[in-house]
Amino acid sequence: MNMPMTHPSTMEPAMTPAEEPILDLRRLSKTFGEVQALNGVDLAVQPGEFVTVVGPSGCGKSTLFNIVAGLEEPDAGSVLRFEGQSVHARQLLGQVSFMPQRDLLLAWRNVIDNAILPLEIEGANKAEARAEAQRMLPEFGLAGFADKYPHELSGGMRQRVALMRTFMFKRDLMLLDEPFGALDALTRTMMQRWLLDVWQKHKRTVLFITHDVDEAIFLGDKVLVMTARPGAIKLSRKVDLPRPRGADLVTSPEFISLKRELLDAIEEESMKTFGPASH
Amino acid sequence: MAGAQPVARRFGAVLPLLKGVVVLAAVLLAVELLVIAFDIRPYVLPRPSAVLEAILRTPAAYRDAMVRTGLETLLGFGAGALFGIWIGIAFSRLRFLRETIFPIFIVSQTIPVIAFGALVVMWFGNTILAKAVIVFYLTFFPVTVNALLGMRAVDEKQVQLLRSFGASDREIMRKLRFPTALPHIFVALRIASALGLAGAVVGEWFGDTTGLGVLLLQGMYAENMVAIWASILCSAVLGVAFFAAIGLAEKRIVFWGGESA
Repeated sequence: MNMPMTHPSTMEPAMTPAEEPILDLRRLSKTFGEVQALNGVDLAVQPGEFVTVVGPSGCGKSTLFNIVAGLEEPDAGSVLRFEGQSVHARQLLGQVSFMPQRDLLLAWRNVIDNAILPLEIEGANKAEARAEAQRMLPEFGLAGFADKYPHELSGGMRQRVALMRTFMFKRDLMLLDEPFGALDALTRTMMQRWLLDVWQKHKRTVLFITHDVDEAIFLGDKVLVMTARPGAIKLSRKVDLPRPRGADLVTSPEFISLKRELLDAIEEESMKTFGPASH
Repeated sequence: MAGAQPVARRFGAVLPLLKGVVVLAAVLLAVELLVIAFDIRPYVLPRPSAVLEAILRTPAAYRDAMVRTGLETLLGFGAGALFGIWIGIAFSRLRFLRETIFPIFIVSQTIPVIAFGALVVMWFGNTILAKAVIVFYLTFFPVTVNALLGMRAVDEKQVQLLRSFGASDREIMRKLRFPTALPHIFVALRIASALGLAGAVVGEWFGDTTGLGVLLLQGMYAENMVAIWASILCSAVLGVAFFAAIGLAEKRIVFWGGESA
């Protein structure tokens, strides 16, 4: 089962298992006062890999992301390795491109200036950054919207601006926290296909949180299922479905059987949260 | 096509002012008619036309008074606004300052401006500076409070996002907290402009030779109802002008309407 992933030929050569993971978490735990959010998360992400994380609500997915983004320190004893180095979470500030659930666009900046915000903070030349953003607009479906302000954009467009901002912050690892959670089903499907296109072109490593199993399988090279709180990795499944992936994939038998397995695992965890109260 | 939009925009900015002028004219006309219809005595309420006539008889006196009082207000207001914003930023960043100096500020604001005015005139004499200081005293506090409030109203998720990009506290202040606070600051500036003008007028009562406050006082001593109303009218014009200028600046600077999401 350990065959190389079936990326199209435009991608880098297929990775070997010997390659060092870009992100390696071992026994990662996090406690807030009395509440244990994470309990021994083990997770490795290979360079160029698209890893999706699903789990019942409140399982500590966002805490996991905050740690990897450098915003929270894990408990003592946790191992956090990034690009082969053991690091403190705070050393990851500015090293990982992080996209939270909400677009968080700045109301007083137009599309271009929102997109270049991380470059500006890096100290890049503003004019060059703007020119680069201008070139990227069509790819993100934002051609002609350069001078629009967030309040003039639809939810899907705002989300694309936020994604563009994330892509412009050129870091090897991208963290996407339910980026399409607030969109309607149709827009969401379009955005998923579009994200895969963009990802294959830019060759980034992606860690993607979602609560939508379809989305997790459709996008991921690997799907991780988290346990109920305190969160840990319950199940890790490779998704050996061919790329590029089309809309018809979601009705294929392989997809359905994988979905069945993942849904069972998630339901088992959800029952731990809701089970005792419902009887 | 290209020129059409800016023109329309400029007109759009002037429109509220125009409406205000029309409404003011209508009110004055109504008062005029009421005074005539009910035969109200001039020492109770003079006819607006008589008031306007009085102004036009000695326009230089009223113009000089408006310039003087306007300048006092502008100086004190400008200094108060800048100081208020600056100290608001300092308070938001330094908890120590917020907990030690801020209570003193609050106590300082409980001193009635009249009591304070006497002191200021003793310190600075009958100068324009004395009035500017009174205006400053009335202006900086609401600006400080709102600047502080605005900067603490920032979305923590946005702060986290900027931190994840590697932003320093200073950058977060400049690129996020300060712009977020701007709509709050403008609310304070509107309040402060009215307060400041009142402060300048009252400040002149402690001794001066020109200014709207002086004209008011002279009118009162002479029991000249028309002169009093003429001063009131000039004060109103000045007040509206300040308010409108701030509103215009607000529209240009806080063009996104103050909603951060």
